[in-house]
Amino acid sequence: MDFIIEGVRKAFQLIFSLDREIFNIVLLSLRISLTAIILASFLGIPLGFLIGVKDYWGKKFTIALVNTLLALPTVVVGLIVYSVISRRGPLGVFGLLYTPSAMIIGQFILATPIIIALTHSAIQGIDRRARSTALTLGATEIQSAWTVIKEARYAVIAAVITGFGRIIAEVGAAMMLGGNIRGTTRVMTTAIALETSKGEFGFGIALGIILLFIAFSINILLHYFQSKKV
Amino acid sequence: MNKTILKIRNIKKIYNNKTVLDVDCLDFQEGKIYAIVGPNGSGKTTLLNILNLLENPDEGQTFFYGQEINYKSNYHILGIRRQMTLVNQNPFLFHSTVYDNIAYGLKIRGIPSKIQQNRVRNALSMVGLSGFEKRKVNQLSGGEAQRVVIARALVIEPKILFLDEPTANIDQRHIDVVERIIKKVNKETKTTIIFTTHDLSQAYRLADEVVSFLEGKIIKEVPENILRGEIIEKDGLKWFKVAKDIKIAIVTEKVGMAYIYIDPKDIILSYQRFQSSARNSFSGRIIKIAEKNHLIKLEVDVGVNLVTIITRESFQDMNLNLGSKVYLTFKASAVKLY
Repeated sequence: MDFIIEGVRKAFQLIFSLDREIFNIVLLSLRISLTAIILASFLGIPLGFLIGVKDYWGKKFTIALVNTLLALPTVVVGLIVYSVISRRGPLGVFGLLYTPSAMIIGQFILATPIIIALTHSAIQGIDRRARSTALTLGATEIQSAWTVIKEARYAVIAAVITGFGRIIAEVGAAMMLGGNIRGTTRVMTTAIALETSKGEFGFGIALGIILLFIAFSINILLHYFQSKKV
Repeated sequence: MNKTILKIRNIKKIYNNKTVLDVDCLDFQEGKIYAIVGPNGSGKTTLLNILNLLENPDEGQTFFYGQEINYKSNYHILGIRRQMTLVNQNPFLFHSTVYDNIAYGLKIRGIPSKIQQNRVRNALSMVGLSGFEKRKVNQLSGGEAQRVVIARALVIEPKILFLDEPTANIDQRHIDVVERIIKKVNKETKTTIIFTTHDLSQAYRLADEVVSFLEGKIIKEVPENILRGEIIEKDGLKWFKVAKDIKIAIVTEKVGMAYIYIDPKDIILSYQRFQSSARNSFSGRIIKIAEKNHLIKLEVDVGVNLVTIITRESFQDMNLNLGSKVYLTFKASAVKLY
């Protein structure tokens, strides 16, 4: 029991003394996950919109596929991206493995289906008249699409936040693609795994508390946007 | 002589193998007000959507100032669509302020914000809502919302303003306001206005021309026997209450205020009440007799005036005269919602 109490005590000490190593790890985690989520939003929101408003052959299949990808295990993403970017893989020449870029790719793949699926359902929740009203007031197709997304803004923001919550907390792909290199690719989740196995509970608990705090903040934010009526 | 602003030729629209609109020829003159009347499902809204270029017809041509519309070119369509606008039956407001809603059409046209502000202010004053700019749309009453969507349409200074049932969902006080706005807009800005309505008296009050639709086709005359009243339910049966004592059996799901229409050919005329499966039978006196194409049109006052059409042969056999007391009989299923 003592090691847990000691660990918690040390954790707070590290947090309140603004330990440099801890905060570098937190900042790196945020940088990687924020980059990934921005890229995923650029792809996921328009795709979610298109699936929501267009009727095309194979639409049901796409929706089923996207929903399947929601449950994609992070280690499988790690495995696939690893095989593509490792030295012997098709994109091996870029030397991406064990860099933050590799982690961004992995997290991008994890977040995109979430954003697509949730944007799609957000768009479906929007009154169909929003689009026809925009068109009759003279909007182009793109302007009317933007108007519909704006009408769904709170639900779309919630989609992005949900995606962020998933990738900031994932460990499998980050470990396999980043390699947990201190100072370059060591993020909160991989650091927790490592420090715990080393017996450095204080360090692990400190990061765990910060990660929980981030998760908590994300959920408060999510709740705020979900409760806001469009 | 006014210019023809919009004309359609041989337009057809088919949904699920059913022709919902079939119009050979229809012209609209610049600066006039047109009312399109007809029962639910007669193709009025489909026609407006086609005229407003929101839907493409399956066949036929549309001309705007004599120029044929090319449905294949989005760019061409956009250019023409930007010269007209449609106000929906159930207005949709973007979830924002009144100002943002009204300025929408100006913003997407890239009009500078200084000019936007002026035009929004003028449009609001046109509909009698000056000073409403900062209101959130969820703070508006139904009638105010309807006026905001009209202002949002007017601000883009359209050549044609389409209104789909502009007064269907608002109270009487606002109906008067909206009617006044329609008249005023047409008079002051010479905007061509094309609106649909259930209310025939409104159509004739506002419009220079009334176009009547039935089952997707234009009919020359507005049908006889259109009555306004209330559908009530009594003992599990539906009745259409017209006057104090006149209750007409009707088959419908609906209750509340409505217009009905009874085809004069579905009404049987007799001297005596006779036993039949028809649930509606009323007695009254003939007040008007007119002949047209070998048919005789009789107007009978049974508490309300109903028109029935019989052949000249029957008319002579029955020896009918003005003031003759007769029975009019028709089935509940002949009573159609208008």
